[in-house]
Amino acid sequence: MNQPPLVKINRVGKRFGSGPLVLDGVELAVQRGEFVSFIGPSGCGKSTLLRLIAGLTEASSGELVIDGMTPENARELMFFVFQDANLLPWRRVADNVELPLLLRGDPTVRRQERVAHMLEVVGLAAAAQRFPWQLSGGMRMRVSIARALSVAPQILLLDEPFGALDEMTRDKLNEDLLAIRARDPFTGFFVTHSVTEAVYLSTRIVVLSANPGRIAQVIEVPFAYPRPAELRETPEFLQLLAKTSRALRAVRNN
Amino acid sequence: MKARLLSWIQPAVTGIGLIALWYLIKKISGVPSFILPSPDEVLRAAWDERSVLISAVMLTSRGAVLGFLAAVGVGFFLAMALGFSPRIKASFYPYILVLQMMPVTILAPVFVLWLGQGLPSIVAITFMIGFFPVVANTTMGFVSVDRNLQELFLMCKATRGQEVRYLRIPGAMPYFLTGMKIAGTLAPIGAIVGDFLAGSAQGGQGGIGYMTIAYFSQLKTPALFATGLTACLLGFVFVGGVNWLHWRLLHQWHDSMVKKE
Repeated sequence: MNQPPLVKINRVGKRFGSGPLVLDGVELAVQRGEFVSFIGPSGCGKSTLLRLIAGLTEASSGELVIDGMTPENARELMFFVFQDANLLPWRRVADNVELPLLLRGDPTVRRQERVAHMLEVVGLAAAAQRFPWQLSGGMRMRVSIARALSVAPQILLLDEPFGALDEMTRDKLNEDLLAIRARDPFTGFFVTHSVTEAVYLSTRIVVLSANPGRIAQVIEVPFAYPRPAELRETPEFLQLLAKTSRALRAVRNN
Repeated sequence: MKARLLSWIQPAVTGIGLIALWYLIKKISGVPSFILPSPDEVLRAAWDERSVLISAVMLTSRGAVLGFLAAVGVGFFLAMALGFSPRIKASFYPYILVLQMMPVTILAPVFVLWLGQGLPSIVAITFMIGFFPVVANTTMGFVSVDRNLQELFLMCKATRGQEVRYLRIPGAMPYFLTGMKIAGTLAPIGAIVGDFLAGSAQGGQGGIGYMTIAYFSQLKTPALFATGLTACLLGFVFVGGVNWLHWRLLHQWHDSMVKKE
């Protein structure tokens, strides 16, 4: 761990306008290759923290350093997966996945190859010519992930991507996300309400308390990748699940 | 299938009923044909005057199409400018409203003074009637862009031009087409009013508005009614065309068109 962290969050505070403090003194260093989940009660600022890393909003105090750059300058390294799939309704699935490559100015042939590859990875090759309204919520989210990964970002920020999906779909997408990450590695930041999801996906879980949002506890997840789906039924996993739930409860009762 | 047949039969029955009522009123009141012609007299007049009416409709369509295209084109780019910055909108929108509030009967003589009798004035009047709904709707479309999509473009480091091309213009399309639909219904009316107020009868031939005046002054009431019928047909063709365009551009993706199964 002599490497400098890929993402360094230095005593970051955030308030919107003259409103109350949303985040206070957040301190976190994340190494390349980690997968960090933010979990906490609503209003703890976990989405705001994600948006701060993305440079979609600015810190009121403290600073964020991403690979030696400000978040805004580091955008090229990052991509954001939004809460709802956030697809352009007038573009077909393939054209939605292509968009970031198109905006980046990649040549047509490269774009087509990359789109085909990404659709293959998320298992949507057959749906390439459909429009977003013709897809289920889970499929839409797959498109969104394919789009995000099309530019092979070093850092992927996911804002409760599976929150609106049923549990079965969510479990499947969790497994797929890990499989994708094994092929195209990225450093992940993941906002969620689901403890299971956080434990299954992450290398570290950051539990935040609300009003103002502070880091209450950081839980290390020791399981090695690849993580099989059955990991979720092992005693060690359930133990960590219980530990995380306890931490969350403690935060809520404060 | 049955429902489809019914959707044709219902309006047909209403139509037959209305025509019967028309005959009935004429019969009972006994008014002469120059006050109220019967439907068959109107159809006969339409047939007798067909060459005049066809050339009138062609003339009027020319004004309607040109005025419509001007309204849609200018309206689109004006809306883009207004949507581009709140400051531009604040500076110019009130005056666009003023222009819209100005009655066309007052503008018409001004246009005649500037452009003379005939097509240019008719186009200008059609434009004045049609361009506001395009501007108002399209501006709304350019302004109401999904914030999340905007952030997506921000994450992609999209340039302003890319955002306009790939996000704002497609996003504004449904609004633009709604404005275009309204302009489409107004354009034939605008051209007829324009012809009425600023038309000229080159070689004894005028547009629909001009023929209205001619038939009225000659008390050729059945022909006057036939002119009205022709104007309706022109209107339907226009609206049909715009509706087709609307369908063509939106049916694959927009909520208003998509059939959810």
